Amino acid sequence: MNTTELGLIARVAHVSKRYGEGSGAVAALDDVSIGIRRGEFTAIMGPSGSGKSTLMHVMAGLDNATGGQVWLGDTEITELGDSALTVLRRRRVGFVFQSFNLVPTLDVRGNIMLPFELDGRRPSAKEQEWVDHLIASLGLLNRLTHRPHELSGGQQQRVAIARALGTRPDLVFADEPTGALDSRTGREVLALLATASREYAQSIAMVTHDPIAASHADRILFLADGRVVDDRPRSSAEEISRIMLSMESAL
Amino acid sequence: MAGPLSAHNFSAQARDHASTLTVAALSSAFGVVLLQATGIIATSVESDVVGESDSVRLALSIVTTVFTVIAFYVGAIVTANTFSTIIAGRVRQIALLRLIGAQARTVRRAVATEGLLVGALGAVLGLAVGMGITVATVALGIRSGWLPALEYTLLDPIVAVPVVVVALVTWAAAWVGSRRVVTVSPMEAVGAAAETRNVGGRRTARTVFSLLLVLGGLALLALGVIVGLSFVGGLLIAFCGGLASFTGIILGAHLVMPPVLRLVGRLFGSAPTARLAAENAVRFPERSSRATIGLVIGVTLVVMFAVTMESYRAMVLESFADRPELAAAIDQSVTLTTSIFLGLVGFSAVIAAVGMVNNLSLSVLQRTRELGLLRALGFTGRQVRGMILAESAQMSIAAVGLGLVLGVFYGWAGAQSLLGSINHELMAPALPWPLIAATLAGGAVLALVASIAPARRATTVSPVLALSVD
Repeated sequence: MNTTELGLIARVAHVSKRYGEGSGAVAALDDVSIGIRRGEFTAIMGPSGSGKSTLMHVMAGLDNATGGQVWLGDTEITELGDSALTVLRRRRVGFVFQSFNLVPTLDVRGNIMLPFELDGRRPSAKEQEWVDHLIASLGLLNRLTHRPHELSGGQQQRVAIARALGTRPDLVFADEPTGALDSRTGREVLALLATASREYAQSIAMVTHDPIAASHADRILFLADGRVVDDRPRSSAEEISRIMLSMESAL
Repeated sequence: MAGPLSAHNFSAQARDHASTLTVAALSSAFGVVLLQATGIIATSVESDVVGESDSVRLALSIVTTVFTVIAFYVGAIVTANTFSTIIAGRVRQIALLRLIGAQARTVRRAVATEGLLVGALGAVLGLAVGMGITVATVALGIRSGWLPALEYTLLDPIVAVPVVVVALVTWAAAWVGSRRVVTVSPMEAVGAAAETRNVGGRRTARTVFSLLLVLGGLALLALGVIVGLSFVGGLLIAFCGGLASFTGIILGAHLVMPPVLRLVGRLFGSAPTARLAAENAVRFPERSSRATIGLVIGVTLVVMFAVTMESYRAMVLESFADRPELAAAIDQSVTLTTSIFLGLVGFSAVIAAVGMVNNLSLSVLQRTRELGLLRALGFTGRQVRGMILAESAQMSIAAVGLGLVLGVFYGWAGAQSLLGSINHELMAPALPWPLIAATLAGGAVLALVASIAPARRATTVSPVLALSVD
């Protein structure tokens, strides 16, 4: 059975990632097998050092696993070379990072259109319409000619979201997208991601250690010491905190 | 002092200061060799024609001093620029020092001290290299017979002058280049500070001053050309005009270079790599102006000399057209003089090129995160390399292009004011095509060479490492 038939957009099977050699080796990921469901907003939670960022990097083709297999859609990316992975990221993956999301020398429009330009093509009429819709609904219409340093943190994240959704990628990875924001702006950004997932059936995988952020997701995967330790449907921030705390005490 | 305040590891320090060390060594070696050569030539002339030695010594000393000063000046610009680039890369670290209570002035002084140490080391290295070259040349000259076998003073105490001057100039340049230290806020250590644009405050005065120099200088230059149509003395007026207007252009580099860089950037088309490169080249207008102005100075001087000498040669050949053997003799001596002068001026261009190469290297190093972001978003390694080559080409073309234009203009003005009184008419500039072709080729090579190391480093940037929050 392939990824699509499983209703998944990405999956990893028996993935491990080790740093270093011999007895000094550290396992960031230890035999992880999970699937990210199509059209869902999935949160990957865990304390610092749990391997959640490494998992994201491996799934997004930014880093190679030491063992196991990785699929994006029905493409197995485990053995792909650097340029194939680059093109894959450009066309099929979107990114929202914690900070430093935007190219400082490009204005807002230039940043949003960058994935198309990197591909050496103009967006089709339909794609342009979609991008214009995103720009309008994210409230960026009168910011298009601004440079990143002229925007607030929240506005910068909106631009990053517009860029990530613009190519209608298979999967958007969000790495602590609210980590550098105040709590109100952070909630707005989370609501935008949840809306994108619900209204446009956009699959999103968000890495976070913040229970409030995770409470916006449809599903929460818990990681600790490089292993998946829990898998929950939508939960409240209190429940998530409780699970996190119990994980701490179990260690 | 330099210890705790530069909590930088050794290899990073070495990388930061490689350019300054090279520039200091080159400058000092240049000064040492020129001084020694002056002494040696004067001694050998003395043995030939008694009594003429003093005037030869004086004339040579003037020439030596002028070219040494030019080389040191270009070196100082390069070093100041290198230091401001280094400071830009150390902002977080400086902010941390400020946060835990270091005074801005103390930090800046520590940076300048680094400059003094590196400058002194480079100057001494240069002394050794310069002495080596002189001793080897003299030995070779005596053996092959083109230098009379005399007792030459091979360790004239006067060679200490360029060594000390280079160390001090480097110190001063480091101090000037570390201006930004004072404006670093301790807050920059805390927040993930976005790129800040610091707009200089005392710009207006500098702009007005440079405009006045350029306008006044051009007026004098025009006067010199007009006077030169009747009297040879026009050259003196034109020289002052040229000096003033060129100084104005150097002072106003922050006004001149960015538009030139933008213009050149437009030539590269609108692909994302080219557009990003064009933007990067003018990202810090102040910095890229300083990185390129040294090369502009070098190329302008080289081309100016070549154009003037070419005009002079053309005229001499024309005047002696009926006496071919005399014309040939003069042609030969003019060519020899031109080559020597070009070699001497060209040295400044080499120092400037070292500075440009290093500037691009450091600026790429400081953009690690941004390069990681571009890689994550789908920039291929090839696209990154292309972008950096385009950036390098843009700076190189802008500097060489502007230098060519200015050099032809000043060379023409010089030749016109010097030779105009002979025919009493304006003439077109005589263009030394081989030299122009060589300059263009040199620019192309520089663009390539400058991009090799940074491009390699940029493509090995792992997006994961670059994006990890530090």
